[in-house]
Amino acid sequence: MSEPARITMDGVTPGMDLAEVVFGPLSRDDIQRYAHASGDFNPIHRDEDYARAQGAPTVFAMGMLPAGYLAHAVSDWFGGPQRLRRFKVRFTTRVWPGDVLVCAGRVLVIEDGLVKTTIEARRRGDGPAGLDLPEEEIAIAGEADIELPE
Amino acid sequence: MCSLAERELTFELPVQAGAVAEFAAAVGEDNQIYFDEDAARLSGMPGIVAPPTFSVRQIYAVPREEREERLGANLDYGRVLHGEQEFVYARLPAAGEVLTGTMRVARDVSKEGTRGGSMRIVTYETRFTDVQGDEVLTSSYTLIETSKDPSNSEETP
Repeated sequence: MSEPARITMDGVTPGMDLAEVVFGPLSRDDIQRYAHASGDFNPIHRDEDYARAQGAPTVFAMGMLPAGYLAHAVSDWFGGPQRLRRFKVRFTTRVWPGDVLVCAGRVLVIEDGLVKTTIEARRRGDGPAGLDLPEEEIAIAGEADIELPE
Repeated sequence: MCSLAERELTFELPVQAGAVAEFAAAVGEDNQIYFDEDAARLSGMPGIVAPPTFSVRQIYAVPREEREERLGANLDYGRVLHGEQEFVYARLPAAGEVLTGTMRVARDVSKEGTRGGSMRIVTYETRFTDVQGDEVLTSSYTLIETSKDPSNSEETP
């Protein structure tokens, strides 16, 4: 991963972009490791034949894996996870083995003692042969609220 | 249409240090507050804490089949996508504690899709409390059951 730019709370201003954090490329081993860590053993994430029988060209990541990386990025932006008060994501497309994940965010507003941000994780890569995916697209979009220190 | 199930399901989520370290490593973490007691204390924590999305491990305690059987949302998992996930935190889980999770169906609505067909949106909400009964976090797991083949979207556990 790239080193995130950790920011201090008194330096947070509405409209500021949070420095991109890049993870990956994601391997099948990463997906397996997350299966054990999370308890999500759906075979569509590990069994090529099963995935193909379900209409996918190959296995792909469970959505909570890139979501976990995105939560990691948010934690690093704000000096650790301990002031995170809300983390919400929508899943918009699949993430494939070989994809790089680019996590990005922006400070929307500071109100009620919270820094409210929009966040996203983009998948970047060729994707499986035959799918003709865009080179880069948003896989997860959401919001995170971080409490300002007293 | 709205048909909220009234039933609740209660389970335990143990937050073992080993599971915390395994989970943190799986999301690329190197922050020592997930791995090292002394480092966590130096960062102002009472001890090792779990990463923000750690509570997804609740699937170990309540696998899909049991959840469906006991909460009765009756989803057809051949047509179900993980649409959204939200966590609201009072604090992060601490290594060594055992949280109590209380899961219910918080939302069950049907909507007309934009390209024909309908979809059903079901949110399973789990409130996690600690041994004192205080709130730790709430996790909302939203599934979308489509009326068409979901082959271009996210699969679910």
